[in-house]
Amino acid sequence: MLNFLKILATPEFFFSILRISAPIIFATLAAIVVEKAGFANIGLEGLMMFSALAGSLVSYYAGSWVWGLLAALATGVVMSLVMGFFAFRLKTDIILVGIAVNMMGSGGTLFLCKVITNLTLGNAMASTTGLITRSLCIPDIAIPIINKIPFLGGVLSGHNLLTYLSFIFVALTSVMLYKTSLGLNIRSVGENPNAAASVGVSVLRIKYIAIAFSGLMSGFGGAFMSMAYAQGWSLDMVSGRGFIALAAQAMGGGECLGGMLSALVFGFAQALGIKFSAVGLDSNLASPIPYAVTIIGLVVFALVRASRAKKRHSAAALGKGARK
Amino acid sequence: MTRKRQLRFTIIRSLVAILIALLVATILIFISASGATFQAKLEATREALKQMLAGPVFRFSKKNGIAFEAKRLADIFAAMIPTVFTGLSVCVMFSANQFNLGAEGGILLGAFVSAMAAIYLPLPAGLHAVVAVLLGGLAVALVMLLPALLKTKLDVSEMVCSLMLNYIIMYIIKFVMNTYLADKTRGSIQSFPFRESAAIPPLVDNPVFSGAKLSWGFAVALIAVVLCGLFMYRSRWGYAIRMIGINQDFAKYSGMKVGAVIVLSQLLGGFLAGAGGGIEMLGRYDTFTWTALPGYGWTGITIAILAGNNPYMVPLAAFFMAYLSKGCDLMATYAKVPAQLISIVQGVIFLFFAAEQFLSGYRQKLVVKSAQEEIALAQARKEGA
Repeated sequence: MLNFLKILATPEFFFSILRISAPIIFATLAAIVVEKAGFANIGLEGLMMFSALAGSLVSYYAGSWVWGLLAALATGVVMSLVMGFFAFRLKTDIILVGIAVNMMGSGGTLFLCKVITNLTLGNAMASTTGLITRSLCIPDIAIPIINKIPFLGGVLSGHNLLTYLSFIFVALTSVMLYKTSLGLNIRSVGENPNAAASVGVSVLRIKYIAIAFSGLMSGFGGAFMSMAYAQGWSLDMVSGRGFIALAAQAMGGGECLGGMLSALVFGFAQALGIKFSAVGLDSNLASPIPYAVTIIGLVVFALVRASRAKKRHSAAALGKGARK
Repeated sequence: MTRKRQLRFTIIRSLVAILIALLVATILIFISASGATFQAKLEATREALKQMLAGPVFRFSKKNGIAFEAKRLADIFAAMIPTVFTGLSVCVMFSANQFNLGAEGGILLGAFVSAMAAIYLPLPAGLHAVVAVLLGGLAVALVMLLPALLKTKLDVSEMVCSLMLNYIIMYIIKFVMNTYLADKTRGSIQSFPFRESAAIPPLVDNPVFSGAKLSWGFAVALIAVVLCGLFMYRSRWGYAIRMIGINQDFAKYSGMKVGAVIVLSQLLGGFLAGAGGGIEMLGRYDTFTWTALPGYGWTGITIAILAGNNPYMVPLAAFFMAYLSKGCDLMATYAKVPAQLISIVQGVIFLFFAAEQFLSGYRQKLVVKSAQEEIALAQARKEGA
């Protein structure tokens, strides 16, 4: 046990938490902004799958990760706008639109991959892992001064560009939601669309902006998966991160900071699972840990919320009694 | 709008949605078709489409021309067995407006539990399969208590919870199989063979039916459709489920026990998915070999959407999806177009079926026409009087 703790108290372990959390943070931000605008985008999983494929393919054919990243972002945004069209214009239940995108994200990406690359591994599977070399991945960045600090340097420096961006985006999204007029509009549309419309806010436009933002974040998340987390795209590589992000959004109380912390909890759970399997635990027992933590996290969050609501309720009742 | 017009609108709308999906498929096939010239590509596309659309019932060969293929049709009916069950399961859960996506993990768990009962429970033939399938269904119903109770007691999203459960179920089954239950004498991960008493026999004992594994499960699936339909449209509980789906607040204020009904709908959904997994497992296989989620749950969601959450329409929708899937498989074999095309076709059809406002202009026209006719009729009556 003590030995195991020793393995955990290394900079590598904390480094891996940040690395694993990055795509979940992107997806969580996506979930937070659409939730603020009053709806849920459960298609994040599918969006990330398509973005991951587009990123790895374009970076291979264009020979540069920059184009790959841009393609991943564009894929996320365009697909999310199409989702918006179905949801807002054709009045499809947004949940069902999300399910459809997730459905396509699994087999559909494999279809596109096979068709575009003409690759078939065996007869059933294909992936782009053979195409992507280290130089086609998004680069890691060493931070000059911090990397000299003994423990902290190992944790904070040397991360992927997108890992840093994910944390920067937490701050930026928070500022966008609470300090800009766009953020005010998004929140007002989510809270009361009729009131927002009555003061001249175009509800439809704001909803499209919110879903496009979620597509952009999924694009970052997808690009991270295929061009930083792994080298190249493979089937079902997002493996539930888009769904975990939905839980992180709920657990974080719908706020950016809380969402980030929840995402880090899942990153911790997964990093722990990887370490467990490194010391001999069956990987099939270690792999479900993050998913179980998600359910437990949601329950804890709901209990806290319930007890808070109760307290507020009794405080209000007390106040009423005092006034009498 | 008259009933006849309503029906006509529904049919036309469905056909247009399917046509759009096929158009998308054609474009994708054309892009992926092999061929140097435009003409050659067109020819390859035609060949692929022929296999996809007619292949499931007809065999094309240069020697014999076009021949009806009973085996492939039987394959399609056999493929409907698990998806009818997941389709019904999703219908019941979605009718209450509960987006429980656990049918996917449910069918895997049901198949696993039934398989274990088929291996380790010594029971007489006949009874054995029934008990095994029931156990599979009950196990999944029990698991579905978790998202259902968390939703009604703590307002935890049943969708996220059920999705996470799918992954947990898959990994735990993999773990248990690898570590304890696998037949180590075999090269791949598989269980010991089922007892013969647990097998579900073919519907008719001839080579076509038994080759396609078209078991009595098909008859059970159709019975389940009727029972589900009766439950949803002719019972108090079914009415409550549908009312809650339409307007939860109204249902609550009119005195329905909303929480209990939501839990009931997901228990029932879980039971159907689990029983479906058991029937599929015992009717088709003789050892347990599933190591990943089989995908029937997602197909079930598509089927429920195509059926408009109406249990009676589930077999039709399941037939359509099975036909399409068989067509895509044949296309992959004979025309070298990846079979995963079905995911995209499925997604497109799904989106257009679920789109409320799709062809709303046409519906508006029909409504106006009906109204005008009514007015004219009333006018004529008045004049006549």
